[in-house]
This record gives sequence, structure tokens and C-alpha cells, in this order.
Amino acid sequence: MTREEHLLAAMVEAVDTLVDDFDLIDFLHQLCDRCNELLDVTAVGVMLADPGGRLHLIAASDEHTRLLELFALQTNQGPCVECHRNGTARLSIDLRSPAQTAAFPRFAQRARQAGFTTTHALPMRLRQQVVGALNLFDTREQNISGSDAQVAQALADVATIAILQHRTIVHGNIERAQLKAALSSRIVIEQAKGILAERWNTDLDVAFDALRGHARAHQLRLTELCQQVTDGTLDTTTIEHP
Amino acid sequence: MGADHDLAAVLGSLRPSRADAGLVGADPARCARALGVDGVAASVLTDSGLSEVLWCTEGASARLEEVQFTLGQGPGAEAGAGCVPVLVPDLARVPAGRWPVLLPQIAELGIGAVFCFPLLVGAACLGTLTLQRTAPGPLPDAAMTDAWLVANALTAVLLEGGDQRDAFAAAQEGSEFYGAVVHQASGMISVQAGVSVARALLRLRAHAFRHGRPVTEVAEDVVARRLSFRDDENRPDSGAGGGTDGP
Repeated sequence: MTREEHLLAAMVEAVDTLVDDFDLIDFLHQLCDRCNELLDVTAVGVMLADPGGRLHLIAASDEHTRLLELFALQTNQGPCVECHRNGTARLSIDLRSPAQTAAFPRFAQRARQAGFTTTHALPMRLRQQVVGALNLFDTREQNISGSDAQVAQALADVATIAILQHRTIVHGNIERAQLKAALSSRIVIEQAKGILAERWNTDLDVAFDALRGHARAHQLRLTELCQQVTDGTLDTTTIEHP
Repeated sequence: MGADHDLAAVLGSLRPSRADAGLVGADPARCARALGVDGVAASVLTDSGLSEVLWCTEGASARLEEVQFTLGQGPGAEAGAGCVPVLVPDLARVPAGRWPVLLPQIAELGIGAVFCFPLLVGAACLGTLTLQRTAPGPLPDAAMTDAWLVANALTAVLLEGGDQRDAFAAAQEGSEFYGAVVHQASGMISVQAGVSVARALLRLRAHAFRHGRPVTEVAEDVVARRLSFRDDENRPDSGAGGGTDGP
């Protein structure tokens, strides 16, 4: 496969997995492997920002301790922190250069100790939203070419889309659960009205007023009370007949 | 062009305003006209596996949702379970075995074609949008596109939440719920027959099926105390007031 074909394959993989329920972490691991293949770098990691804006490693091309430590360091400082904050790529950072690593000396020192010479950080962004950063490491001194930088950014974009899509689905599922809860709540209220109306031989409005009154007086949520009425855990004779 | 404007107006009004009693705002009849069909209905799947109608045109569409609720089968259940559209352009040509009891009932309603679209949230299904038409025949491509648009917009509106949903969940005054009477009747039947509300709902559905009546109509009889399930475990009375300790 040519590099373009590899890249295309990565995109198709992304589209394929996104239409269905998919494992985000697994997908991002695959993406890291693709990065290794396509860009001939030593190590790759995907860093994701939490709601507080702190970065966490979510997937890496290998699980060597020395590498994981490097990512862990970047909750505070490092090229990914800068990249995530500014939303712009930082390419071909020479880890031996004090000038280029002035903002993250501790990180640079540890990276050198781990055997790396060069690092690149690319933002994972969609319009205004920066969700994280893609981090590449190389043991060689290497200035990334223009076309490699494009490929790297394309892969970062794929990761971004995967993450945003995943969030949409998760968010959608939460909202779906809320709608279902609203529906269940309404159903259980109607059932409890029926139960009480039948026990008291009154009409539904009287039963409903009594249920609401009892909920208020006992500081219960109406749905909670009605649930207890329908599953028989509440003695309905304790409800005051208006 | 007129139809386009109609659709735009429908999409624009789907979000409920203060004046609307339901969770969906737009006029379903207008939506049906914009889509070139005779009726529409939107139902949402509940944990019980049955769907609750939240928005529908009166008449055949409401009845179609009801018979599917009564029997627990049909294009809506299939679309919901599979997260796929179920398009039946000619109900007369559907093999009888597909929905054995349902098909004759749909025929009785005078429905010739049914188009059921899933309301999708990612890979999951929230419920269904069902279009029905007296005249058999496929849904034209443009109407198909529009139906998906309405389905997606409906999903967004239903998921949005807000005051209307809170009012609905708490059964506040003025918040409409099509299936309310069915669940009220289930509550009453559960006391009459000494069974759980889930079993009571089954008894209600079974009664509606056995007598070939709409389930909401039977439920209204129960709530009005014209029908009781009190005395007879197997065969509830269908006569006026029979068997009740009525007022």
C-alpha cells in the first residue's frame, strides 16, 4: 500500500467504526499504530482533555513505562499542554535544545532520558473546540516534512472526529434515558391514580390530588410515591382521603 | 414549492411552545400533508417493550399505533427493534404470516401503505415515526428524504427536555398524554383483579384483542366504571356496571 492508501484505509476504518457502536479506546489504539506505520516515528500517544482541561493519555502505540511516564508528566507541562491550550501544532521540537523546551524543561529532560530526540504535538480540534493532542516521539533527530505534517494532522483529525462522535452518542444516550425516565414517571403516576381511585371508589382527580398532597406533606417525589403505590410497598390507607 | 414551504413550517414548529400540551409542537395533520400521506404518528419505546404514542393524527394513524400496542407486533416494533426503516408500500401483498393477527386489523382501518422510520440516537433507537396512506404504492424519493428529516428533527425535539417534559413527567395540568387512560385503567384493574399493574395491562390488552376493540376505548370503559375485571378471573364482564360495587 502507498501512504495515501494507508491514510485512506485509516479514514475508511474510522467511518466504518463510527456508524456502529464502537470501542473508542480500541479505535484510538489502532490509530496510534497507523501513525507509527505512516510516519515512521518511534512512539505515538493520544492525549484527551477532561472537562477541567487537564490532559490524560487515552491511547498509546506501546505501553512501555518510560513512554507512559512521559505522557503522565503532561498533565502539567509539555508540548501537548501548549498545543491543547493554543490549538496550534508544535512540530520538530528538538528535546536537546533549551530554547525550544524552555516551557517544559522537566518533560524534556525525562524524554531525553527515555531515549527520544524529537517530539511533535498536533492539536485535535474541530473548529473552536480542541479536545486533545496527538503526540509523536522519535529517537532520531528529524525535522518533519510538510507532507508528513499533513498526514499527521489528518490522523489527528480522524481521532478528533471519532472522539466527538463518541461524545455525541454518549450524550444522546443520556438524553434518551431522561426521556424514558419522564415517560416512565408519567406512566407510573397514571397507574397510581387508577389504583387509588379504584380502592376509594372515587374519580381520578380526587386520587391525584390526594397523591400530590401526600407527596408534599411527606416530602416525597410524586413519582417515588406513585412507584410505591404501584409496586405495593406503600400502605395506601396512610394516604389522607380528602 | 408549496410542499417545501409546508415542510419548513412543520420543522420549524416541531419544538413545543407554551401553548402546546404535548412533547411535540407541530400539527401532525399538517406534517402528514407536507409528506403527502394520510396520517403520521410518533411513538417512543418504553422499558416494557411497548411504545407510547406522543404525537399523532386522529383516526387511522392513532388506531394503527393502538393495534400495534395491543398486539405487541407490527412494523413499528420491527423498526424499533432493528433500528431500521420498515417500508410496506402495499399491505395487501404482505405475506399473512409476517404479522398474523395485525394485518387484517390494519386492512379494516383502510390503510394501504405504511412507512415506519426509526428515531435514531447514534446506534440506538428512541422510537418510531410512522406514515400511513390509504392508497398503496411506494413513497416518492422526495417524500422519503423529507420523512427522514422529520424523523431526525423529532428525535432532537424529544431529546431536548425542558419545561414541557418536566410538566409531562409530573402529569401537570394541561400536559397531554395519549396513553394516560390505558395506564389509569391498568391501575384500576390491578386492584379489581388483585394482580400487578403489568399483568393488569396484559389483561386489558387481551380483552381489547378478544373483543376486537381499541384498547383506549376499553380503558375508557374501565375508568368510567362501565367495565370491571373484579369478579371473573378468566372472563371479565363486558356489560354495563356488571360485577362492580359501583357507586
